[in-house]
Amino acid sequence: MLKQTFILSLCLMVFNSYAGIITINDQQQKPLANAVVWLTPADKSVEFPAPTTPFIMTQKDRQFIPHVLVVPQNAQVEFPNADSIMHHVYSFSKAKSFELKLYREQPQDPISFEQTGVVELGCNIHDWMLGYIVVVDSPYYAMTNDKGQIELTLEAGDFTLNIWHSEFSDISKTESKAIALTSAPVVYQIKQAIISRVAVGVDEFDDYE
Amino acid sequence: MNLTTMNKACFYLGVVGLTLTCNAFAQVKGLVQLSAVQGDQYVSWQQGSVGLYRYDSDNDGIVLSQGVVDFRTDLTTAWSAHGVINAYQDPQPTLGFSQAYLQYKPLTASNYKWHLRVGGFYPLLSLENPDMGWLSPYNYTNSAINSWIGEEVRTVGVEATIKRPGRSFNSTHSFALVGATFKGNDPAGTLLAWRGFAMHDRQTTFNESIAFAPIASFNSTELQYQANQVLPFEEVDGRFGYYAGIHWDYLKKSQFRFYYYDNNGDPAALNRSTGQYAWDTRFSSVAWLYKFTANTRLIAQMMSGTTAMGAKRGVNNSFYSHFILVSHKMAKHRISMRYDYFEVTDHDDWQFDPNASEGEGITATWRYQLTPQWQLGIEGSALHSQADNRMAMNNPKNLSQQQISLNVQWRF
Repeated sequence: MLKQTFILSLCLMVFNSYAGIITINDQQQKPLANAVVWLTPADKSVEFPAPTTPFIMTQKDRQFIPHVLVVPQNAQVEFPNADSIMHHVYSFSKAKSFELKLYREQPQDPISFEQTGVVELGCNIHDWMLGYIVVVDSPYYAMTNDKGQIELTLEAGDFTLNIWHSEFSDISKTESKAIALTSAPVVYQIKQAIISRVAVGVDEFDDYE
Repeated sequence: MNLTTMNKACFYLGVVGLTLTCNAFAQVKGLVQLSAVQGDQYVSWQQGSVGLYRYDSDNDGIVLSQGVVDFRTDLTTAWSAHGVINAYQDPQPTLGFSQAYLQYKPLTASNYKWHLRVGGFYPLLSLENPDMGWLSPYNYTNSAINSWIGEEVRTVGVEATIKRPGRSFNSTHSFALVGATFKGNDPAGTLLAWRGFAMHDRQTTFNESIAFAPIASFNSTELQYQANQVLPFEEVDGRFGYYAGIHWDYLKKSQFRFYYYDNNGDPAALNRSTGQYAWDTRFSSVAWLYKFTANTRLIAQMMSGTTAMGAKRGVNNSFYSHFILVSHKMAKHRISMRYDYFEVTDHDDWQFDPNASEGEGITATWRYQLTPQWQLGIEGSALHSQADNRMAMNNPKNLSQQQISLNVQWRF
């Protein structure tokens, strides 16, 4: 009996995984939806393989879809143009500076995102278009739902919890906190104010400018 | 066809641009529109008469109402060549460029954006014509204002635009300031004097002329050098014209545009070989688009201006027009209704050359988008007009006209 208990305890120690919910609240303690959350192991020696399948940032109805795309470092991102008109996507961000002319029905090669950080996307033809690619150094990431929550399953241990939101008052600032993942739920309240961004609804006749 | 030097330049610019579309950095779009028309009994201005519609009963049957190729070629990151080729069969088979220009639009990290256009193009004062090739997605027959812009107003010059996009400032408001200087376009205003406003979608290509009805006053000594046609984009006086505009958008829900145009024409200047005067033509245009919902919008435009020709401004007119358009989209259907008012007031003392005219019209259009490529539509339009110079041509001063068309459009 003692032996069996010992083996069970050993198993629990070896396969001690965390499957839980992380909740992000704003400064008013209300759930913060659409926050990008990622966990990086405290042990910096851990290396993750580069993702093999490309991620997709579509141009559709003269908007970027999704508005925010989270990708792991070294990911490839394709920019398909689903519109019948041309787009000229660009970024001046430190994490990735590039431009891509996207003609109708002429797909371009994917772009590789080697550096972590926030890449702000614009279109030189449709200046209301705004999108973000958040490049993170971890495979453990997600965006919060309407309840401000993400669900992650990973090995328990020490991590840095990182949070970014497209409506941060300073979008160049990521918030971080060292945490120990155990069985306890994690709740984090952001430190900076959320400023709602103007979203412009457009149709096919709004290009004439 | 007698091309002016600048029209030739636009033509060659267009041809070079079109040639370059063979590379991978190009985009070519196009549209063919066939119409079955039941025209009015009064013969159209296009056929040298006094009717104000594009078609008349002589056109009854199927016509190629629009043939458009719209291309863009990227030369570098910032430079691109643009052109629009139009094919028409009325009043005679024509193939020509209505726009041909280079655009310089640098990528900039600045919150302010700017670009230049060089060549031949439209001032962007209309909110009625945002479709490919400056067509209207609402009514097939353009408003009186934009019918005139399409036939007699074109910039052959340089235009600079600086924008303050709301996105860069997290603002609901976006602004743009536009300034241009140009040559050519000296005869702009001629049609308003001797025909008045009309309602149609026949754009003038760079090398085209537009014929007048047999205007009785052209037989006078004072107007003996005036040709019985206008070459609207010709340079006559050697002077530069200009225009300035402002765009103000609120979330694209409300779009406002104001333009002031002055071709700076020297009314004493005359090109005797082509029979074209420089007209001193200036106008203000205010356009407003408002979306009540994503599917229902109102577009209104108002234009007021003056035009004069001759050393002593023997022809001296003011002109005014407005329209109100309401358009509603339901799934694949779009219904558009428009009311137009237009007038030309004669201020000179040349009694033998009456230029006053006035009219109003109503146009109703239903379009059905069968597939992204195919569209069907029907339009009915009625207008009533009067013009003081018609009686001398043995036509009634007052005309009531109607035009019905069934249209099929295919785009690629």
